[in-house]
Order: sequence, then structure tokens, then C-alpha cells
Amino acid sequence: MTVDILLDGFLTGGVYALAALGFVMVFKSSQILNLAYGQMIAISAYVLYWLLTTVGVPTWLGILLLFAFGAALGFLIERLAIRPLLGQSFLMLLMMTLMLGFLFHGIIVLIWGVESFHMPFTPTGMLTIGDWQVSPATTWGFVVCVGVFLLLTLVFRYTKIGLAMRVVAADHAVAQSLGIRVRRIFSLSWVMSGFLAAIVGILVGMVWMVTPDLGDIVLGKGLPVLILGGLDSVPGALVGGLIIGLVEPLGGYWAPAMREVVPWIVMLVILLVRPYGLFGQRDIERI
Amino acid sequence: MFPSGTFNERPEQDMAIMRTKTQWLLLVAGLIFMFTLILYIPLAWQSWLILVGIYAIAALGLHVMTGLCGQFSMGQAAFMSVGAYTTAILSTRYGLSPWATLPLSGIAAGLVGLVFAVPALRIKGFYLVMSTIAAQFIIVWYLGWAEGLTGGYYGMPVPKITIGGEALNYVQYWWLTLGLVVVAIFLVKNIQRTTVGRTFVAVRDNDKAAEVMGINLFRTKLLAFFIGCFFAGIAGWLWAHFFLYLAPNQFAFKTSLWLLGMIIIGGMGSTTGAVLGVVAIRFMDKMVDELTPVVTSAFPGWAGQIAPALSLIVFAAVVIFFILVEPKGLYHRVQRMILYYRLYPFSYQR
Repeated sequence: MTVDILLDGFLTGGVYALAALGFVMVFKSSQILNLAYGQMIAISAYVLYWLLTTVGVPTWLGILLLFAFGAALGFLIERLAIRPLLGQSFLMLLMMTLMLGFLFHGIIVLIWGVESFHMPFTPTGMLTIGDWQVSPATTWGFVVCVGVFLLLTLVFRYTKIGLAMRVVAADHAVAQSLGIRVRRIFSLSWVMSGFLAAIVGILVGMVWMVTPDLGDIVLGKGLPVLILGGLDSVPGALVGGLIIGLVEPLGGYWAPAMREVVPWIVMLVILLVRPYGLFGQRDIERI
Repeated sequence: MFPSGTFNERPEQDMAIMRTKTQWLLLVAGLIFMFTLILYIPLAWQSWLILVGIYAIAALGLHVMTGLCGQFSMGQAAFMSVGAYTTAILSTRYGLSPWATLPLSGIAAGLVGLVFAVPALRIKGFYLVMSTIAAQFIIVWYLGWAEGLTGGYYGMPVPKITIGGEALNYVQYWWLTLGLVVVAIFLVKNIQRTTVGRTFVAVRDNDKAAEVMGINLFRTKLLAFFIGCFFAGIAGWLWAHFFLYLAPNQFAFKTSLWLLGMIIIGGMGSTTGAVLGVVAIRFMDKMVDELTPVVTSAFPGWAGQIAPALSLIVFAAVVIFFILVEPKGLYHRVQRMILYYRLYPFSYQR
């Protein structure tokens, strides 16, 4: 029984890791914390639902269209809202992303009201692995998560664009002097982040119920993972996600009401003892 | 910039909050206007006015923390809730007079704020924002969880404030609120021109350099947090005795962000700006409320969701507009206008 819960938590951690990865992608390249990301995920989930039920496209086409939507959303946000603010103080950028989140939330509430749903293609029943039973939705989430992380590792290691992104993450001036278009990399990282939002939107629609509050819930899971793993670390997002996934049911096991608040407490402790996270880069600041 | 012929010859003149006779005149006229305003306006606007006052106190606290000391807080609503629940619990369960709980509310909120500010010694920027977001969620979760103390998610009633056995009506409540707002504005203005405020600004502009100059960084940041949360606690006290009922969902994350949006729209780092921002945003929200029936009748299919959605979208759009077009805020605009007036007919010189 306990093992089942822990295993389920571990697998759900995969979804958390993906949710945190979207933050990391943007932060690594441009040092912007995208607090609209939770709402981007929520709006992706709603758009897929709309495509599948109201428009009535087949599932595979709907998912493909959603990927295009997510990428376009990321691209447009970067171009219209973030690029004009480059070089401004971080609070302005933070408020901008927050307000974009408000805007998306408003749009969701306006169009879909209080509608809540599971994705129509959510697999039902329980999956038996050995002696343990897990929900197939979370297993799917975990598999996709591992796939995405493998793919990203390969992209970063073996492709030219990945190399360019790593250089930009290390130093903007150096990247520019090497002939890398830094702004284009920013744009690309937002597109990838939007793409990830679409993936997480699909998974979240299977694992949890999609409600208008989904954006805030995902944000609430993503931020502790992000701090735990380190703001700019891709493997950190994976490890952090799995840890939070495990810690959450443990806290719930100890006292059921604790479940929601355990990730935040973990985050506060991390902020106190190791603010740059498990894998994050320690800042050295010049006076 | 002061009108022609105003010379600051002594330090006191340089420090004065009210420098010229015109300013004093405007201040007195403005105070009289504000105190009597409640008598001319309809009932629906009376509660609006009182809420503006309450938000103004919370925003002034946020202004001390964020605008002066550069410590960003996204948990101001939660610190308000600490003040509100302090007075509610002390006055219902322990029978204290609400007047006695006024300072206690502020101090309780300030102390809770200190707990979450301790990480601020090591962290700043994003990380501090995270810590205050955690404060927001943990505090509101606790209010819903500790049912024996706070009544859980269903909330708890709060007694009315009385003077001589008689409960305050709206008009008297506005006078009380306005009195506290005036005191708060005066305190913040005073902080701004004394050593404490100057150390705050030094820490905001460059914390390493401030430390080298001999400013105790940890103490200064904690003090800024304490003052900011103290104001939030006072606002919470007013909130509790105005609504006479408290529930955790009144202090949502959104409210914290509204407050932050208010000081951004008003103009970061200026006391008058913070108040201006509160008035502007609350007025906009009221207008959205008034407009909702019109929009609803135009789109009857969306009747249920239009009110919450419209308020979110309009607020977001306004703040985005300000960030993109006028990042210095409303107060900067007002100052430009005053300058234009003072330099008229030679306004082109500046």
C-alpha cells in the first residue's frame, strides 16, 4: 500500500520535473523567471480539450496542433511582451510574466467558465508492475518525462543549436562575439518552453482534473521543484521533480492536510541552507 | 522642483515634507475634502472608499519593503491575514477590546514577516520572491488547517468596533480608516527622510556597497520587512473589523499581486505614488464592476464568467500597458504636469 503511494508519487514527479523544465529553459538563456508558465500549461490543456470536443479533430491531430499552438504562444510572448523589456529590472519582467498569467487566466475563465474535465483519451484502470499497482496516466507522464530529458540532453550535447544555447547560457557577450544571435536563442528558448507547456498540459490533463485554477496549482508544484534543483540546471529539474514527487505523499502519509504545503516547506528550507539549489550555479558577484 | 524664489537655506527646510505655503494650503483643503467626502457619496461608493483606505495602508507597507528597500514581497495579502486573524482571535476568544488589538495586529504580522524574511540575509531577487510566495501559501494553508483557532475554511466572525458602546457606522469607519492612512503616510514620509529610510535606499541600490559603508545589511532588511508587514497587519485589522467575517480565501495570492501592481502603476519608490496607484486600480476595478451588467447583456451566453474574467483581464492589461509605456508610473506623470505648470510659459526649457 505505502509502496504504491510512493511509486505513484515518484512517477508524478516526472510531470513536476517537466513543469520545472519549462522555467529552467527560459531562465538559463535569459535570466527571466516566467511566472506565466503555469497559465500557459492550463491554457494548453483547455485548447486541446476544445480541439478534441468542440472542433472534433482526431486525437493525434489535436496533439500535433497543440504543439504548434504551444510553440506559437511561446514565440509570441517573447516577441511582444518580453523583448521590449530586455535590460529592464527583473521586477518589471517578473511582473510582466505574472500579468500575462493573469491575462491567460482571465481568458480561460472568460471562454470556459468553470468547466473542468479529464482529457478524453485518459487511460483508465490500474497498471500492474510486479507487485505494485500504478495509475497508467502517471506512468505515461514519467515515460514522456524521461524521453524529453534524454532528447534534450542529446540536443544540448550533439547539435550546433544546442551548443549555441549552452554558450548563451554561459555568457551573453561571449556568445555575441562568436557570432551567435543571442536574441534568436532567447526566442528559441521561449518556443521550447511553450512546446513543453503543451506537453505538460496534455499530461496534467490526464493525471489531474483540469480546472480554471490549474495554472496556479502547476505553478505551486513547479516553483519548489525549480528552487530545489537550481534555477538554471536541467538535471536539477529532473532530480528536484522526483524528490518533490516523493516528499509530497510522504508528508500526506504523516498528516493528510500537510500534502499541499510540504513542497513549500521543502523550498523554504532549501532557500535557507542552499539557495542556489542542489545543482544550480553558485553566483559570484562583483561589487 | 519648487516654485521660483524658494531657497533652502537651512537643513530643516531641505528636509521638510511640506515646503511651501501652497502645499500646506492644499494639504489642509485636501484633508477637509477627504474627511467630508464620505458624506456626499452614495452607499455603494462608501464601502469602496473604505476599502481604498485599507488597501492604501497595505500598499504603503509594500512600498517601504519593495519601493524603498528593494525587498520584493509577493505575500502581502498573507501578512494582512495575520493581522486580521490576530484581532479576530484575540477579540472573540479572549475578549480583548478591538482598540487594544490594533498595535498587537501590526506586531504579530511584523513578527511573522520576520520569520519569512530571515532567508533574505542570504538571498535576494528571485529567491526572495520565492520565499514570500511560500509565505503566502503556507500562511493561508495554516489558516484553513487550524480549525480550532481560526474556524478553518468556513471562517470566523469578528466583533464590531465600538466607541462608548455604540458600533461604528460606515461614515465613522471611514474617518477611522482615513486617520490611520494619514498617520501611515506621515510615518512613511518620515522614514524616507531619516537615517533608516536612507539606509533602505542604499541597500536597494547596491547592497554590497551599502555593507561596505557600514550598514548592517541583515538588520536593515529585517527592519524593512518588519515595517512593511506591520502596515499589512494594521490594514488586516481594518479589514477584519470592516467585513466582520474572515475566511482564508479573502487573502488570496491574487490580492498580493494586486498590491504589487498598485505600487508599480503608482510609481515605484514614491509614497504618493503608492497611494495614487491604489486609488487608480481600485477605481478601475469599480468601473469594471459597473460595466459588467452592460457587457453581460451584450453577451448573455457568458453571463456567469464575465465578471471575474473581465476584472482579471483589465487589471492585467493596465499593468502591462504601464510596464511597457510608462514604467515610472502615474506619479512621474503627475510630477511632469506640476513641473509644466510651474515653468509655464517657458515649459520647453525642461
